Amino acid sequence: MRYVWLVAWREFCENARTKGFWMGIFLFPIIIVLSGTLPVLLARQGVSTRHYVLMDLDGGFAPSIRAEMNRQRTAELDQELIAFARTAPYSEPFSYHIRKNPAGLSELDLAAWKLARGDQYLEVPGFVPPKARWLEVSLPPGITATNDVPLLETELKPWLRGELILPPSTATPEPKLFAAVIIPRSYSLTGTNALRYWGENQADTELRDTLQRFLSESLRRREYQALGVDPAVIARVESHRAPVVDLNPRKATGTEKVNIADRLRQWAPSFFVYLLWISIFVVSQMLLNSVIEEKSNRIIEVLLSSVTPGELMLGKLAGVALTGGVMLGTWISTLVVIIAVQVGLVASRIASGALPASSPMATLPTDILALFQSSSLLPGFLAYFILGYILYATLFLTIGSLCNTLKDAQNLMGPVMLILMVPLFLLPFIPRDPNGPIATFLSWIPLYTPFVMMNRITASPPLFDVIGTGLLLVVFDLAVLWGCGRIFRTAILRTGQPPRIIELLRWIQGRGN
Amino acid sequence: MTPPALELNQVSKYYGDFCAVQDLSLSVPHGCIYGFLGPNGAGKTTTLRMILDILRPTSGSIQVLGSPSALQVRHRVGYLPEEKGLYKKMKAWAVIAYFATLKGLSKTAARHRAHELLERYGLKDFANARTEALSKGMGQKVQVLASIAHDPELVILDEPFSGLDPVNQEVLEEIVRDLRARGRTVLFSTHVMQHAERLCDRLIIIAQGRRLFDGSVGEARRTIPHRVRIETSDDPSRLESLPSVASLHSDGADRWQIQLREGSDPHEILRACFELPIRLRSFDAAEPSLHEVFVQLVGPGAREAAFR
Repeated sequence: MRYVWLVAWREFCENARTKGFWMGIFLFPIIIVLSGTLPVLLARQGVSTRHYVLMDLDGGFAPSIRAEMNRQRTAELDQELIAFARTAPYSEPFSYHIRKNPAGLSELDLAAWKLARGDQYLEVPGFVPPKARWLEVSLPPGITATNDVPLLETELKPWLRGELILPPSTATPEPKLFAAVIIPRSYSLTGTNALRYWGENQADTELRDTLQRFLSESLRRREYQALGVDPAVIARVESHRAPVVDLNPRKATGTEKVNIADRLRQWAPSFFVYLLWISIFVVSQMLLNSVIEEKSNRIIEVLLSSVTPGELMLGKLAGVALTGGVMLGTWISTLVVIIAVQVGLVASRIASGALPASSPMATLPTDILALFQSSSLLPGFLAYFILGYILYATLFLTIGSLCNTLKDAQNLMGPVMLILMVPLFLLPFIPRDPNGPIATFLSWIPLYTPFVMMNRITASPPLFDVIGTGLLLVVFDLAVLWGCGRIFRTAILRTGQPPRIIELLRWIQGRGN
Repeated sequence: MTPPALELNQVSKYYGDFCAVQDLSLSVPHGCIYGFLGPNGAGKTTTLRMILDILRPTSGSIQVLGSPSALQVRHRVGYLPEEKGLYKKMKAWAVIAYFATLKGLSKTAARHRAHELLERYGLKDFANARTEALSKGMGQKVQVLASIAHDPELVILDEPFSGLDPVNQEVLEEIVRDLRARGRTVLFSTHVMQHAERLCDRLIIIAQGRRLFDGSVGEARRTIPHRVRIETSDDPSRLESLPSVASLHSDGADRWQIQLREGSDPHEILRACFELPIRLRSFDAAEPSLHEVFVQLVGPGAREAAFR
């Protein structure tokens, strides 16, 4: 056992000395945080204004479209201003219009501010209005408005392709025409003439979708009007939503209502599956590299004169597991600490009256912490990490022992990687039907048991599945350790080409050396 | 009588139909330097791996320091493999200390021992260098030190001199002699005969997995007929009639090689030269070198094996 530990400890120290290890520890949480905040930040700061032309040959739509686009833009600016007022309220005379509400939050009295400032209501020191996402421009120079659609389109094409650049706009010095929207004459819901949306970029469908939604509504409204129904009535009726309440029979009587914490409970396992996958993947790569180093350097011979192949294999598995364990432990404990701090912060905000105790935000951190502490998430994660790790790490270790170079190893790794990719693809589907036939079927495939069962863990899977798949996985792990141990023993001293399958089978039968 | 440090009894190793080692027997007494010689592909490395229990023999038995498996006495055995390699990112002292802990030393003792060895053999300044920063020769010295850091009773060195410059070869010879001086047993394989000649108390020569010779260096020399080299401008053919002369060959202009019959004394040739007289410019009655013995013993087979 001492030798297993010595090998393991060296392995751990060696990995802990690499940049990859520390980058893994620090970069992963940063990436997670960034992937949550960066798109929002980018959307606010870095978005480029897209220019479009609108030709309404029908004549009845352009004013209302423009009004709608303006309305959306104004709403966006108002929201930004309100958000700004919450964080930086002290500039005269702006601050006169900020009121403290009973919860102690700063709220801008937007209507009063607008009334006081008129058109300049956006000119507040320190406030930078976000750039407009969409900007309508008039027809490019040299194109005259005409009813001849083919001619118009031919003339617009070079601008749309970016071959010609629009005159400078308020947003950009060299705007490119992003889209051209042509509403045909006698445009209607039932007519054959479609709205023609021209644009090189067919992936960003925001403008197209906004227009379609708005025009559908307008046209429907027109029809209602034609039928003699009052538009105001229609608007009122359409604003109604059928009320729905989500209830879960597993919750205690009186609290059956599904809240954010319940939804988290349903999706939290996915987070852990992702963590499991990342850690197994990272750690197995380390293992592969380390075996290949020892093999290509022939250090292996010295090692094998001191330890048995079995001790070496277990030592390496344990050492890299330790590396992965430290990595995971850091991630999870960081998360728990952050949530615990949030619990404290929220409690103090409730105490100071800054946050109403009934708000969902008030109980969220406590709920998450309770989820971590009480449910089977963490113990389950630990068990499936260990069992899944033994399985995949042993496979990667054996692949490493079969190869002399990383290049050889990459060829052999292909199939294992494909197998390992499947749980990642399944990640979004399992929580939707955690005890359904697909999830149950996959749980019984030992290669996928750790991932799929982890994903089902908070959905109270049948005890038979939990114990049965667990036992199967343990047996499978032992079989893999045994078989791979035999291959490892023979392969580790071999040089030259990786062996054929038939040779591997012979080695498993103990006819290696 | 104390058992030998190492004993091989009728050891064979087959890979499928290929026979790497056949019926090899060998006995290495305690406290000696034992040379293990043979051409490329003779089965030296396979034999050493079997001695270390890295490979299992197909048949036969091996006793290492009285134990059937080297792993059972791993603390008392040191090993330097033929292909040298170190953990690239580890410091020189840490590599030595790591291998020493695998051989049973405590971490503190291993660290002290590593620094002590590096200092004694001139690598003190590189103790904290990563091994990837060391030259090939220095790396190899570090590896040799790693194999003896736990002060083993039996040290097995596979081609320890390959890749070392003459100065470092001498340092290594010094290390090997130091080991013997402290009563340790050294078994080393080589195909550089000069080292074997200078160092070995006993040696074994194998080719194609079979033993060709086992004995002292002197015995090895005596396996081929003694010969005398002379240089003269006279005709030496009259020497052929002497009873001690087996044959006479020209060895270049005015140079001749005389093969002697077993048990004859080179002095008889010298005396005959004076008597006849044959005027000599030089007379060389040196014993055959190990190199000659080796070529003589393994020559044809080794050539064949090398081109196989």
